Amino acid sequence: MSMNRIETDHPLTDRQAIGRILLVWRKRAPALMFGVLLAVVALLCGLALMRGAGLRLAGATVGLVVAGSSVLGVLGGLRVFFRYAERLFAHGAMFRALADLRVWFFRRLAKGSAAGLGFRRSGELLSRLVSDVEALDGLYLRVLLPVVSACIVLPVLFFALAKYSVLVAGGVAVLFVFAAFIFPAMAMKISQRDGGEQLRALAALRVAVLDMTSGIREIRAFGAGHRVVEDIRTVDDQLLMAQSRLMRRSVIAGALSQLCGCLAVLLLLCAVVWGRSIHMSPVVAVGLVFLVIAGFESISGLTRAGVLAGTMGAAARRITASAGHDDPTGSMANAVGYESAPPQGFDVCFEDVGFRWTRNGPVVLKGISFEIPAGAHVVLLGESGAGKSSCAGLLLRVASPESGRILLGGVDISSLPETIVRQKIAWLSQATHLFDDTIRANLLLGRPDADEAALWKALDDAAVGDVVRELPEGLDTWLGEGGVRVSGGQGRRIALARTLLSEAPVLILDEPATGLDSETEQDFLRTLNNISGKRTVILIAHRLTGVETPDYVWRISNGQAESVSQ
Amino acid sequence: MSKDKAALRSWTKAQIKIGRRAAGPVIVLSVLSALSGAGQMWCMARVLAPILLSSVTDAVSDTGGLPSFIAGFGLFSLLRIATSAGADMLAAQAGDRARRRLRTDILHRVSHHGPSLLRRMHSGALTTLIVDRVEAADGFFARFIPASTLWLLIPAILLVPIALLQGHSAFILLCCGLSVPVCQAVFGIGAAVASRNQFLAMTRLQARFLDRIRGIATIVLSGRAEDEAKKLEQAASDLRQRTMKVLRVAFLSSASIDCAMVVALILVAVTDGRLALHMNAELQAHSISSVEFLTFATSALFVLLMVPEFFAPFRSLALVYQERAHAQGLAAAMLELPELPVQEHSGHSMTAGNGGVSVAFEHVGFTWDPARGQVLHDVSFSVPAGGSVILSGVSGSGKSTIMELLLNFVQPECGRIAIGGTDLQELDPDSWTGMVSWIGQRPTLFAGTLRQNILFAHPTATEKQLMEAVQAASIDKFLSVLPQGLDTLIGEGGFGLSGGQAQRVAIARAWLKNAPLLLLDEPTAHLDPETESEIFESLSRLAEHRTLIMATHSMTTQRIRGQRIELSNGRVQAHRGAA
Repeated sequence: MSMNRIETDHPLTDRQAIGRILLVWRKRAPALMFGVLLAVVALLCGLALMRGAGLRLAGATVGLVVAGSSVLGVLGGLRVFFRYAERLFAHGAMFRALADLRVWFFRRLAKGSAAGLGFRRSGELLSRLVSDVEALDGLYLRVLLPVVSACIVLPVLFFALAKYSVLVAGGVAVLFVFAAFIFPAMAMKISQRDGGEQLRALAALRVAVLDMTSGIREIRAFGAGHRVVEDIRTVDDQLLMAQSRLMRRSVIAGALSQLCGCLAVLLLLCAVVWGRSIHMSPVVAVGLVFLVIAGFESISGLTRAGVLAGTMGAAARRITASAGHDDPTGSMANAVGYESAPPQGFDVCFEDVGFRWTRNGPVVLKGISFEIPAGAHVVLLGESGAGKSSCAGLLLRVASPESGRILLGGVDISSLPETIVRQKIAWLSQATHLFDDTIRANLLLGRPDADEAALWKALDDAAVGDVVRELPEGLDTWLGEGGVRVSGGQGRRIALARTLLSEAPVLILDEPATGLDSETEQDFLRTLNNISGKRTVILIAHRLTGVETPDYVWRISNGQAESVSQ
Repeated sequence: MSKDKAALRSWTKAQIKIGRRAAGPVIVLSVLSALSGAGQMWCMARVLAPILLSSVTDAVSDTGGLPSFIAGFGLFSLLRIATSAGADMLAAQAGDRARRRLRTDILHRVSHHGPSLLRRMHSGALTTLIVDRVEAADGFFARFIPASTLWLLIPAILLVPIALLQGHSAFILLCCGLSVPVCQAVFGIGAAVASRNQFLAMTRLQARFLDRIRGIATIVLSGRAEDEAKKLEQAASDLRQRTMKVLRVAFLSSASIDCAMVVALILVAVTDGRLALHMNAELQAHSISSVEFLTFATSALFVLLMVPEFFAPFRSLALVYQERAHAQGLAAAMLELPELPVQEHSGHSMTAGNGGVSVAFEHVGFTWDPARGQVLHDVSFSVPAGGSVILSGVSGSGKSTIMELLLNFVQPECGRIAIGGTDLQELDPDSWTGMVSWIGQRPTLFAGTLRQNILFAHPTATEKQLMEAVQAASIDKFLSVLPQGLDTLIGEGGFGLSGGQAQRVAIARAWLKNAPLLLLDEPTAHLDPETESEIFESLSRLAEHRTLIMATHSMTTQRIRGQRIELSNGRVQAHRGAA
């Protein structure tokens, strides 16, 4: 199947992965840029305010009025205003971008998941969708914003000092570069491994906990509670260890950057005291000390951002990896060259179709051929594993045949967009999922515009209408996770009602009666006989009960189909 | 409602008490760090003041002491960096410990209350609680608890030297500082409410994602992927709006601190500036000495440099204020979970002899949901040790409820279940679990190897025991088809195995467990007749010398001897072959 390929093919580097995510954020670029602009203005106001306050006091001691109170007042007001505006705006833009990313992820996942999740774990995917995406909010707020700000502060500091001494300016600039760029970059490099480790541990914890909560019956029935809790605690310990390693790194990196700030102030003080060649008035010197302190203060968060950035690369990689590539099945509908005209009829025809699920796996179908005219009621018989469900999967383009072709209304389905195929064919598979939602919402998945009467008719056709009528909340009864609030047979019939509700002219019902007692099963098969003659019904079963009235019966065995005469 | 609030408050209080103990060293180090900061600023002021003075008058050139103050600045810097790094490390450790403690507590509760909890909560919601909510509470223990002490302590301590040097500046700082708690109270309450709502939205979003991901094939094949993506967009945008509501207020409270600091900074600069002009004039007129002027300039510079330091603890508190709301969200979720019962003196422990155990239902009644009425009415039957009972009836007739009662997942409302003559409720739950094997319609298989999945029933089983179980469950017959035999990886929910194969894994588990009572809940409901009869063969071998209670509507069971009980709407309709 294609699903494991998605995980292993072309692993992206951190940078490529982040690039891909930035691409998703393209349309948010103006808003994100505006947030940066606000941040820079707020920062410059803050620097000017600190310097102004220092100048004001120092100037006064030598009998000068340097920065007027009104100037300070305006700077202070602007600083408070822009800081608030920046935070609000930048966060808003960021959340929009994150929501985009989540939806993009879901869409990409949907494209490659017609056959279900396979070996991918739902908890693992959830973790990617939630925590990894969240880890990326730091990419903008804690990395991009402060880095751009630091790029602005650096020349401000340099030119303010260079007027008096290029040497001191150069020294401070070098320290600033270390504090703002080099230490953070080093922290990022070092934490790349641990950051990935932390995300992996978090996902492992989520998977382990989800295993426990969804397998709690087995766990309780086997008295494995303590064991499972201990296992989860082991995973939890791994997470805590990865986190504290990261924490230590970020504390050390933060301390180094703080040290650079102190050294810069020290350098400036020494220059002021002993630098005879520096023609700097003491008042200016005080202003500069205040400026340097505020400048370094503004980048104090960057080293931690570096540590985070390591994590973000891993998060970006995990997200892009599981979202798959543009064309995971090699059969996307948006490619050019498809027949634009939808098929007119809906006769189904398998022509010499060969198929296996994996490249080296066992052959499932060996050149199977059969024909199902529009409106016919057909039974596909066969033992478990004979390839009945594979036929259904092929018809729905969940998988592609290795050889031969499948025609729908005379058109090869591989030349039709998937959406058209799936509009024409509705499938009740054995793995059909009931959603944690109301009965109504579950039914409407089959046909969103169905009215109340249509819903009840479908429920009645599926022989579950009376059960639902007796529920106090009727159609608005909450089904619970996987339909836990109704019995297994009832859930199955609600899923059938959803399939019957769809407007597809071809219905594939894969063992719809499993889990029903024999009396209900026969009732149910009789209702199937009454489905309008305009619809094709393909019933997949391992035996006939005698109440079916099919037009054709095909038995599938050894990868071949043979017609069974009635 | 008020009772809930009281419970919430007492939980939070208890947690703060535990957290405070761990926060002690963090607080001490943070205060030391603030004091070293003050030392840094004093040294800096002491270096800059004489230089300012030297440009006004040539009277003194007191640069002799400068090198020692510059060295002092360096020393205080190192001290400050070391203490603040230490405080950060200790705070992180406190957060780690708290998370480990809480997570263990919740895990034990969930594992204890088990399946009945899942009828009320989505497994996704429980997972969010155990993983994300506990994770989010880290900030409460690591940062909020120390910050909630430090925001008062540090400014108060710093105010002492400032007041000694410049009374009027201390007054300015005190007034601006006092405005902060007022603003916090106003904005903080709003933020807490909004934050609770935000977490609710996040939990809903997660549960929705999980459900949609699990059923993604159904969505895709119904052609609804785009609709679902749109709905997800809607849910995500709801989450964003709620989050922004929290942040709008949270940012307002930090903006109020910014505002207080800017006002204090400007006031100090302006008043000291005015004083400095005055002092400068007096110095020129020689009415004060240059030493007096130097003292003044040093103090003024020191106070001005201290303004950001004075407000830093307020800012730290504002940054972590929402952590409190996260912790309260966790508290509310934890209060929904039933407490672990106090460890009673374990009831009767039972050890079964060979050949099963007798089971009797005596007038048992049970209701899941009062709105839907009673599901079992006055059900009575008994099975001797080693005997069999087949429960039949349409789906929804109460068969599965009887199984849940026997598994002790739920307790009867009236009547009692007697095991070997003893009430099930009086048995030690752990010893009872050891006596029951259960096989349901679809076994839960965990992601991992086939071997791990079988050994789940008995992790310390020997290879020989494992092979016996594999043979008894006829797993050996399909092992050769699997790429890596027993070490073949199985996906979540049994991906890679057919329904019959998965059921064989369940049978192997039951063999390994070797319990005297065997509960089978429609074990062949999803299988084709051929597989069904093979599975029954394995099952009847398993049932030898055990008490068997099986719910089914399959005809194949006619081969199994024993009583037959037909249930209808939760009542015993017919009872054949009674013992």
